[in-house]
Amino acid sequence: MAHAASVLDAKGKDLRAASTELKSLLAKEPVVVKNASHLHGLCGGLKRGEITIDGDGGDYLGVVNSGALIKVTGNAGKYVADNMTSGKVIVEGDADYGAGQYCYGGEVVVKGNAGDFTATMNKGATIVIGGDVGDETATYMVGGDVVIVGDAGENLGNYLIRGNVYIGGDWVSLGHNCAVSEVGADDVQRLESLLKQHGATVNAKKFRKIAPLSDKPFYSH
Amino acid sequence: MSTVGAFCVTLDKDQCINARMPGKCATCVEICPYGVYGLNEENEVVVQNYNACVGCRLCAEFCPENAIRINPAESELVSRFPWTLGTIEEIHHKALTGSYGLRGFGTMGPTPHFDTIVVVPSQLASPSPRDKYREECNMEVVIGEDTCEKPIRLLYPFIFPAMSYGALSREAKLALAIAAAKTGILTNTGEGGVVEEEPYYANGYEKPSRKKKRWEPGGYLAIQWSTGRWGVSADYVDAGDAVEVKIGQGAKPGMGGHLLGDKVTEDIARIRGIPVGSDALSPCRYYDVTEPGDIKKQVGFLRDISNYEKPILMKLGPSRPYDDVKAAALAGVDAISIDGLVGGTGCSPEVVTQGVGIPTIALIGPAVRALKDLGLHRKVKLFALGGMRNGLDAYKAMAMGADGVGFGSAAEIAMGCRGCMACHQGNCPYGITSQNPKMRERLDPEEIGQRLANFINASAEEVKILTMLSGHSDIKELSEEDLRALDVDTAAITGLKLVGYERPLPWWENGRGG
Repeated sequence: MAHAASVLDAKGKDLRAASTELKSLLAKEPVVVKNASHLHGLCGGLKRGEITIDGDGGDYLGVVNSGALIKVTGNAGKYVADNMTSGKVIVEGDADYGAGQYCYGGEVVVKGNAGDFTATMNKGATIVIGGDVGDETATYMVGGDVVIVGDAGENLGNYLIRGNVYIGGDWVSLGHNCAVSEVGADDVQRLESLLKQHGATVNAKKFRKIAPLSDKPFYSH
Repeated sequence: MSTVGAFCVTLDKDQCINARMPGKCATCVEICPYGVYGLNEENEVVVQNYNACVGCRLCAEFCPENAIRINPAESELVSRFPWTLGTIEEIHHKALTGSYGLRGFGTMGPTPHFDTIVVVPSQLASPSPRDKYREECNMEVVIGEDTCEKPIRLLYPFIFPAMSYGALSREAKLALAIAAAKTGILTNTGEGGVVEEEPYYANGYEKPSRKKKRWEPGGYLAIQWSTGRWGVSADYVDAGDAVEVKIGQGAKPGMGGHLLGDKVTEDIARIRGIPVGSDALSPCRYYDVTEPGDIKKQVGFLRDISNYEKPILMKLGPSRPYDDVKAAALAGVDAISIDGLVGGTGCSPEVVTQGVGIPTIALIGPAVRALKDLGLHRKVKLFALGGMRNGLDAYKAMAMGADGVGFGSAAEIAMGCRGCMACHQGNCPYGITSQNPKMRERLDPEEIGQRLANFINASAEEVKILTMLSGHSDIKELSEEDLRALDVDTAAITGLKLVGYERPLPWWENGRGG
């Protein structure tokens, strides 16, 4: 990082100890956290600040994030940025199962691959995956955008209600209540700016868009 | 199981003002949300669609001349069993539409419940009875005393279980918050996000500035963390005095919450983050819990987000109570609510409400044993929910080992509900489970909050009477010895001593089942 940062070595510390120390350091300056992969739910509910996880993160990193910038230099565990409402989470490596689930807002960027059930029940966040995603991506998504640069597995966009899935590669199968839809000029412009911002050198025009069919796929009258 | 055709609506033309002076009164036409009444060409009130009557009886109550009679078509319903009128209508509905039935409120028909259990009073051979009028009785229940910086001290062993904003109207949610404040108990946001006024109302304050208490002694609000995660943010987790992790509920265990699009207004859509008019069908399980250790991690970070100040609760549906309660306690929560088969709902598939889950009286014993086996009984608090009607049911549940009970459906009834079972349609004529402004304006939160508080106070007095006549001065002293089962079935289900026999049934004597 360009500017000064405190270092917190989380080795041997439990969530309470690490979290208390993190919050007090964050009040002054950005914090680099080392050896944090055993902590699940670190950076939960933070409203501001800049945190770099040096190495791998544990599960539920940045849960209910509401304004902090969280960077992971290694891989993220399961459910990274779970239920975030605002802020940004950037993972340099891969993310395990369920990245960006239940988010209301903010941005999740995974530069590598992401696992199954990525962006499930997303309600408004922008979730960018630089590599491939697993099965069931964007299941029951109610809003927001998901950008997948690589390929997707089975049941992509299953029971999508609102929001869009943009995908640069291929998918094994599409889920229910969604279909391939036309990519408009607005979409391309947004995609280009998002991809550029995250250093992805791919042609936005090659992306396809998956959009929902119905607001009420189960109980119609 | 349908209520179609279950009620006979008769209008006595000799009494009806409209029959004498057409156009003068049409209160019933105005008040009925189901279109049972209409006006004919001569402007006379007619019963145009008695099949639509759900039996809420609001029309009869408001008729100025007492001209309306609503009678259950009972003989019809019973005599052709199992092909009752309700069953016939249910089959017709499926044959016509291709879709299964949905229902609000809860289970219909008899299931094993507390009625076949009696309380044993004190006489000569036991500790003397205590004097209800002149002696003290402690009913306080503390949640999270050793684990949280801000434990919850309930004045009475009661909670209002989770009922969401969406299922309930804003006014009903506020009435519950006011009642919790007036009686010092705990209310719950449910899974539909928090109504702005709810946190400070529940604590007894009328204004967010929280300067002077309006409603003494002030109660508590649990915010619910659920599988749909509707309206959840860091501020939401921060808004209450406790966090409840919902695993399931009695009316539809194994399924998530159902809120049909008809009830998803702009405000509810805004809070839940969904489009107006779309169905909010919560997932049946947490997408972010995929292995056994995950729920413990969730309890861990919820404690962290709430700064280790607030108790973490967990709500379970009625499945395998011993194993479920054990797992919940091992996840590190401070209190567990276990909801029985007859637990209420705003909307659920009929077959699920009707036939899925274990009755409340069969849950408490295994739940208590699970906590005892872990050495956590009375430390992790246990609340029994599902069909609790009064202080008598509450006493029985507590004597079986629960620390307290929840009044959900009973609270709705205290608000005015007549149990018409049509909550899912969103037309509740009492404004409790409706989002229709015309129905909602019928419910004044302060007035109904007082009714709820009256119900809680009266039920607490009942618990006090029963606790003291059985020789105790603290609800924590209650035990199974204070109860007897009236029949073999109940003794078999609960392990309580059978009246007359004065022992538990033989198979309970060596090693109690799980």
